[in-house]
Amino acid sequence: MNHHDADPVDYGTGQKKLGIYVSGIISCTILTLISFWAVMSGKLSKWEMFIVIFASACIQFLVQVVSFLRLNTQTEQGKTNVLALIFTGIILICIIIGSLWIMGNLSFYTIR
Amino acid sequence: MHSDVIAADHHHENHHHNADATDVFGFWLYIMTDCILFSCLFATFLVLNYQSFHGIDLKYYIDLSVVLIETFFLLASNFTFCLAILNLYEDKIHKVVAWLIITFFLGASFVFLEVKEFIHLAKSGFRWDVSGQASSFFTLVGTHGLHVSFGLFWILVMIFQLPILGISSVTKRRITYLGLFWNFLDIVWIFVFTIVYLMGAM
Repeated sequence: MNHHDADPVDYGTGQKKLGIYVSGIISCTILTLISFWAVMSGKLSKWEMFIVIFASACIQFLVQVVSFLRLNTQTEQGKTNVLALIFTGIILICIIIGSLWIMGNLSFYTIR
Repeated sequence: MHSDVIAADHHHENHHHNADATDVFGFWLYIMTDCILFSCLFATFLVLNYQSFHGIDLKYYIDLSVVLIETFFLLASNFTFCLAILNLYEDKIHKVVAWLIITFFLGASFVFLEVKEFIHLAKSGFRWDVSGQASSFFTLVGTHGLHVSFGLFWILVMIFQLPILGISSVTKRRITYLGLFWNFLDIVWIFVFTIVYLMGAM
């Protein structure tokens, strides 16, 4: 009766595999270097920099969630975790976009 | 009789496993609330930096190469922690402790660099009390640093706890909590370096 092999403890955090971690850290390293290069090299215009660093931050966020946090929708608990994350994401967007929107309106006459 | 015992045992194990899974979900919800805390700090930082009068620009005080090194310390510590988890599930306790010690030193280097940077900023005139922008900068980055310091303390506790308690379902659960917490801090750092440092330096 070997429970360890038959029923590995999972906690909704997915399977632990070295290959996934290694590919995760390599892609995160590349994305971080792209972000810093875009700003430090000074070759890009302001808008190009802005787009590059935000795109690479968003991709890196997804890479970290998939390869290090090991979020997945395979198990019931995995699904609940993802649902909680999506809900938090909605609240987060409301807080940040909402604050910028309201404060942007308030200071309409004071800046520029 | 014998099969009854096995069935009861299995039932107990199953029950225990479910309780553990619920606990981990609870910890995940705590991390989500922490996420909301950070989003409030980010919103404050963005509002005070880009939509109000700000005194002195951060970009004249920040050295981006130091931030890059900090980022790699945190990323590497995240990876070594994943290796510790990997060894935990293969029941290699010495390797787990060794990786945790490496994780601790990488995380400690991150905090050391950050504190050094804060002292440098304060000495060259970018103190927390000079403008709303500076206050929000120190609150956001400082809160993240405080979380990392707390994580470091927690790693230290696990380094001493693991050899004493051995690898059991209890220690596995605790390392799982810690792993979620540590990975979460690295994810927050992605947005800190993008929004605070890189956007500030543009």
